[in-house]
Amino acid sequence: MVLSKREILTRMKGEIDRPGRLVITPLLYKDEDDVFDADSVDLRLGCHFLLPKALDQPFFSPDKTSINSLYVRAHIPLGHFLVVPAHQTILGATLEFIKLPNNVSGQVLTKSSVARTFIVVETAPWIHPEYRGCLTLEIANVSNTPVLLYPGRRTCQLILMSVGGPDDEQQSEAAVVHSVSAKSGTTYFGPVYPEGPKFKDPQDDLLDIGVTRVSTLRRSELRRQKGCWTDEACVQQESRRARRARLP
Amino acid sequence: MPTGLVDVLHDASVLHRFVDFIGEYCRQQTRSQTYVGSAAVFFRYVEQLAAGIQDELRREIERATKRTPRLATLRRNMRTYRGYLRLLHALIKPAADAHSLTIPGPLVDLASQQLQKVAGMANSRLLILLTPEFMYFQRPHTDIKSQAREIEGFIPSASFPPKLGFIEIPYSQGPSFFTNLAIYHEIGHFVYEELSHRNPSHRAFKALASAKERCLNKAFSPRASKVPAGTRNAGQTGSNRQAFALAEKILENWTQEIFCDLFALRLIGPAFSFALIEMIGMLGVSRTQCVTFNTDHPAPACRFAEHVKLLRDDEWWKEIEDLQAEQRQFLQELANIPIGRYEFFMDDSRRGPRRLLNAFVTDLAPAIKDLVCQLTTRAVPSVERFRRVRHDIQKAFRAGVVPLTDTPDRRDPVCIINAAFCFYLTAVTEVVKRFEEPGHENDVALHSKWKNRVEMWTMKAIEDSQVMQRYKDVQRYGPF
Repeated sequence: MVLSKREILTRMKGEIDRPGRLVITPLLYKDEDDVFDADSVDLRLGCHFLLPKALDQPFFSPDKTSINSLYVRAHIPLGHFLVVPAHQTILGATLEFIKLPNNVSGQVLTKSSVARTFIVVETAPWIHPEYRGCLTLEIANVSNTPVLLYPGRRTCQLILMSVGGPDDEQQSEAAVVHSVSAKSGTTYFGPVYPEGPKFKDPQDDLLDIGVTRVSTLRRSELRRQKGCWTDEACVQQESRRARRARLP
Repeated sequence: MPTGLVDVLHDASVLHRFVDFIGEYCRQQTRSQTYVGSAAVFFRYVEQLAAGIQDELRREIERATKRTPRLATLRRNMRTYRGYLRLLHALIKPAADAHSLTIPGPLVDLASQQLQKVAGMANSRLLILLTPEFMYFQRPHTDIKSQAREIEGFIPSASFPPKLGFIEIPYSQGPSFFTNLAIYHEIGHFVYEELSHRNPSHRAFKALASAKERCLNKAFSPRASKVPAGTRNAGQTGSNRQAFALAEKILENWTQEIFCDLFALRLIGPAFSFALIEMIGMLGVSRTQCVTFNTDHPAPACRFAEHVKLLRDDEWWKEIEDLQAEQRQFLQELANIPIGRYEFFMDDSRRGPRRLLNAFVTDLAPAIKDLVCQLTTRAVPSVERFRRVRHDIQKAFRAGVVPLTDTPDRRDPVCIINAAFCFYLTAVTEVVKRFEEPGHENDVALHSKWKNRVEMWTMKAIEDSQVMQRYKDVQRYGPF
């Protein structure tokens, strides 16, 4: 069930360490209608961004190093703007730090007025119960023109939904054991800036399902030939084949 | 072509190219990075200066082609430009390195706002520089400013930003928060230099000067006290005069250090003492060194004794007295060391005059405290407010959440910093236990990660408090 404005406001009251407490800070609004809709809360764009970096290799491999290898950090203070080139995607974060209750999930959606400028916020919009942190936003400019983004502007909306049926809702908050998602190791816990992806190396990931032989591509195996990248292994195989072909 | 013009033309073109590079460098930096306000002002000044010098060189060479005597003047002017550019050169790169991704911007903004409230320091600005040294510094600015004034005579289009202080942060500490509270001490140096040079006849500084006088009299008694104050130097022998001048310099150094510590404490509360202890720990200062005065610095024990006195006066001490942290115990231990155990060694490892040390602690230190209190009346944070919100802030950290800034009390950045620092020192293990898998309580990497997280959340809370305060002000007073 989607939480109503009244329900959201109720959950934002009380002791901060209560498992059922919803936190959204700082929430800048004159009156409730300012940021709350009947069933959602508007969120603003924060000042920190991760911009895609021009890679020094012809591919991107999602592995342990990917958190640092794909991006450059940028800070755009309030009052300044960031240009998102046409057909490019960047990572931003909400200005608001969020903590979801233990029995509430969330979804982040682009604000309709922003979407009409061909800016798409979020392609992985689901937020699990007990998530803490500023939400990392994947912001894509799918238009044919560069678009300016101003930190501090309302960019997306958060919709909250209660998890489980009526039986679960009857559980007293004290009885709810902290879910695994509250453990920092398993999620993106408490970031205040946008964060890059955290991956294991593919061989470690696949070992979990019993795959023991995983082909990987190391940078040293690649070399640049006539202006394009070539796989060293393929080159060797090709030359062996060519040699065999020449044999009488 | 007048004689010597070829040589001058060569020199001028080399200078022109040098200036061109510096101006372009500053332009590029401001385009590719964002800076806290004062850096942008500084870079704009350098750009204007560069353009001004280039114009001036063009004009002067043009004139010189017509009249030979102008060559000597041009040579002299170029020497002046070069000397000044050498000073600026040393500032530009460290300032360019200190962009908003490499320094704790919210803390610098907060410090700048607090600085504005210090008597006589309205409209002053801070320029942050990154240094390769593992130490915080304030780069003396009096020399730069006097040269800048001289240059303004030649290049009136570029005027040096008034009341600009240069604070250096070790580059490795840029992203951290709590250690960087040490910048408040350096801001103290800036304030002292600015006020004591600009207005030495300020009532508070006059009182300090006479306390210093008394202190010297005591140290050099009985002979010095018999000589009337104004003529004392004239009545002394050469070696005495030298010793007296040295003592005066040493006292001035110690005075500044205590002034800066107390200034920082008044503005930021006990968090500054903890930051200083952390810094001393990282520098590896031994217990013996803690009781030793040298010609530049009073002994850490003496400094912390003054900290505790001021913290007691300002009622902060009651709030941290029961803090179960090694840093608090260390602070108290050092403060409890009797004056008799202090030692004083000169630069050449000789023992320094004991009487000077005693006179400093008993006569001058109270006068320094009075001066600091007079200057910072409007900038002092509320301990009462800290008492009210401390537990709320710490509860937020325990819940893994950035502290809220929804009420005026909770928005007070000094309260947030002090509550956060106390949490950082005492309760990180609790959150590690709560949020990490069991059995990892003693994992140093996890502790480091969580300490970093508490720092990030503190910085976010400070940033939020600034955003929120601005928003509330606009709601109340309208846009400004």
